[in-house]
Amino acid sequence: MDMTEAKSDWIKVALREHEGPLVRYATQITGDLDRARDVVQDTFLKLCAEDPARLDGHLAQWLFTVCRNRALDIQRKEQRMKPLDDVELATRPGREVSPAAQAEQNESTSHALRFLKHLPPNQQEVVRLKFQTGLSYKEIAGVTKLSVSNVGFLIHTALKTLRQQMAETGAISERRSS
Amino acid sequence: MNTNLDEVKLTAYALNELDETSWAAVEKLLAMDPVARRWVEDVRRTAALLESELQAEECPSLTTEQTREIQRQIHLREKPGFWTRQWFPSLRLVEALAVVAIIVILGAMLLPALSKAKFKAKRSVAMAEQRQAALENRVEDQPKPVQQPAEPPVALDLNEVPAMTSPAPAPAAIPPAPVMTVNPSVTQPVALGQTRASDALTRAPVASSQDFGLAAGGLPIEGQDNNSLRLPGVGATFQAGRSATTATSLQFESVKKDWSYGHRLQERLADEHDHFNRNRWSAPPAQPNTESYADLADNPFLAALDNPLSTFSIDVDTASYANVRRFLTENQLPPPDAVRIEEMINYFSYNYPQPKGSVPFSVNVEIASCPWNAGHRLVRVGLKGREIARDQRPPSNLVFLIDVSGSMDEPAKLPLLKESLKLLTRQLNENDHVSIVVYAGAAGMVLPETSGSNKATILRALDRLQADGSTHGSAGIQLAYETASENFIEGGVNRVILCTDGDFNVGVTSQGDLTRLIQEKAKSKIFLSVLGFGMGNYKDSTMEALADKGNGNYAYIDSLNEGRKVLVEQMSGTLVTIAKDVKIQIEFNPAQVNSYRLIGYENRLLAKEDFNNDKKDAGEIGAGHTVTALYEVVPAGMTPDETPGVDPLKYQRPARPPVVSDSDEMLTLKLRYKQPDGDTSRLLTTPVKDSDKSYARASTDFKFAAAVAEFGMLLRHSPYCGDATMDSAWEHAKSGLGNDPEGYRAEFLTLVETASRLAGK
Repeated sequence: MDMTEAKSDWIKVALREHEGPLVRYATQITGDLDRARDVVQDTFLKLCAEDPARLDGHLAQWLFTVCRNRALDIQRKEQRMKPLDDVELATRPGREVSPAAQAEQNESTSHALRFLKHLPPNQQEVVRLKFQTGLSYKEIAGVTKLSVSNVGFLIHTALKTLRQQMAETGAISERRSS
Repeated sequence: MNTNLDEVKLTAYALNELDETSWAAVEKLLAMDPVARRWVEDVRRTAALLESELQAEECPSLTTEQTREIQRQIHLREKPGFWTRQWFPSLRLVEALAVVAIIVILGAMLLPALSKAKFKAKRSVAMAEQRQAALENRVEDQPKPVQQPAEPPVALDLNEVPAMTSPAPAPAAIPPAPVMTVNPSVTQPVALGQTRASDALTRAPVASSQDFGLAAGGLPIEGQDNNSLRLPGVGATFQAGRSATTATSLQFESVKKDWSYGHRLQERLADEHDHFNRNRWSAPPAQPNTESYADLADNPFLAALDNPLSTFSIDVDTASYANVRRFLTENQLPPPDAVRIEEMINYFSYNYPQPKGSVPFSVNVEIASCPWNAGHRLVRVGLKGREIARDQRPPSNLVFLIDVSGSMDEPAKLPLLKESLKLLTRQLNENDHVSIVVYAGAAGMVLPETSGSNKATILRALDRLQADGSTHGSAGIQLAYETASENFIEGGVNRVILCTDGDFNVGVTSQGDLTRLIQEKAKSKIFLSVLGFGMGNYKDSTMEALADKGNGNYAYIDSLNEGRKVLVEQMSGTLVTIAKDVKIQIEFNPAQVNSYRLIGYENRLLAKEDFNNDKKDAGEIGAGHTVTALYEVVPAGMTPDETPGVDPLKYQRPARPPVVSDSDEMLTLKLRYKQPDGDTSRLLTTPVKDSDKSYARASTDFKFAAAVAEFGMLLRHSPYCGDATMDSAWEHAKSGLGNDPEGYRAEFLTLVETASRLAGK
């Protein structure tokens, strides 16, 4: 396989793997799906100019860093700060489920998301990068320009708060056995 | 857990984010501090919740326009690629090229020793052939040749290139153009050796129409052939074998292969007729053997008290049985990991009743004594998909995605594949549409969407296929799915049929990446069938994973008989999916069941939470398909011999024994499935009681399925074989023969005999 083919394959694989998560992430920052898409398109256009070898092993971190910077740029420029709650609503998948299925679902999920959106934005962001995108502490530190221990602290604090709130409201049951 | 810092570390530990030195320290802390252990557990549970909920959030994609823009950017940054699936040179252009071709050919004859000219001549002939082909049949598409991007006529405007095509500018045609070349510098084809040389010359005109011509898309120009051959003074010869020793030899790589393929094909022709007649395709096993099978460990017995729920995805694949049969007919015992018991059991169809009402399949449970362990019970769960009469089959949009890479160049692969697909093609009618995509070094469209009523065209396109080059599976898969979605039939059958030995070695080759690609494609409501061929470098694990992720089924075709079974007899089942993401969850009642073991389905197990999670992919069931699963159950009051038990816990007091219902039900069977185009699952629940039936009184289907399981466990050297022997498996199968019109069950008996003989050696 020649180089050019390898590279276009590389970009296609990157698209396939990261397109959705990037748009989702950018939407959380910009608060607007269309803007988020523009940001992600820009990110991939930049990727086309990159050398695959240089990004080997930290492609995800690179993509999320570029995407975040671009999203923050746009957000700053446009001064459109949307409260995150609205974004949540906007990006929640619109499912059509029967009432019965819904009831079943309510039972089996704890709605950690309900509690997540009451956390400070910086905690929300690292939690999402960790648990939604699957980045490591180190990668998150690279993306957000925080130190690794700072990331660890934010995630720990977020989990602790979530855990407490969920236990209090009984949203998380002690489902140890089953 | 004294300081906040420790807590942060514990969290990092729980999330696998700790370096090694801190890791050891935390482990030490955990050993002493139950509060710390508790926290780690809490973090993991919260993390799992967050993961499942966050990852279920929608991932919006880019707009088509944006994706296209990125694709354009890729194209712009690379050398322009010339294989495109839409590209068809205009007639005028081709005619102009033909004139150039003639000039160049003449030039090449008159100007010896110019290897460049030789190359041009080659190309030009290919062009001329292409023109011929275009003239002869403009509708019947040919594989798009890839041209060297050096000359103006092929410098396409990029805007004409469809945005989604791969830019792969492979140096060789796909499949490579058969090229006749005029080589004035060689007066005698010395490098070929005497016999081969004369062979080459005498056979050449025939070969060009029969072998070469089939390959590449071009009907050879008869006159050209003859002319060249009648010019002994100039020393025209086919570029063949090792005669190309010039600097350009690399460019001729594909030509050499073409030649040698054609040559070997001729030699084998008689042989293959034999194979056809015997309907059995066996070739000497290729050396070295690089077949690959994923590791598989038998499911253990699980205590009903601790693990009351058993959850798995159905599996209608049958490949493992055909593959095992292939080994046994070659007088070899199969490698244990090649034996997937559920696929062996599901190879056979069972006489379950047709479903009633709106549910697409019937659910049937039978319980009797376990033949290899008299004290145990054997529970058979059987599903039967609604049958669809052949004339009521919905219209279909089929894309044959065919591996024509060099590794397919064996009688049991490409030739068998062609014949099998021809069998299928003959069943099609005007409601059906077929496209053919091939892939080797790159991917190309061989046949654009063609009606099933136009059988001759489809058969001819199949006939032309020829193996060569490396295997770029990912590009082919992309193109095939794009083609399928372009011709999408709402409410019809939309299916990619991937035919390969699974030996992907170019492009996205790791199994993980390929399955991700397929998984992505599976969301498009296009289903996948994987047909495995051949041996030697057979990649069973790759193909099973592809079918599993791609909403698909997977069959191994080792003979034309098997091709007929999968593509003709069970055509509706193979093509028409009647329910998808079918999951089974069984809750065992600890009052009746001490422990249980699911036989087979090792790589189909699901987490209990996955049962109600509609995002979790599971198996499909086709029209008329039967799916059978067996559980070996240890009744309450007994313990399975194999479990040595564990010591009582030191740090925990045993939990209060759970309240066990006094119900006399043995288990509750729950099923979830989705309509083929649906996103929300429906639930079926059936409680089941054990009526203490003896094995002798069990149905013949039950006995036969038990015998197949027994045989599979023996081949796998399963630790749970109990009293099973080859002889007992044979006896049980014999008593379960029942009505066996096609003789599949009788064939099973002979396989048991063979295995018994081999194992006894």
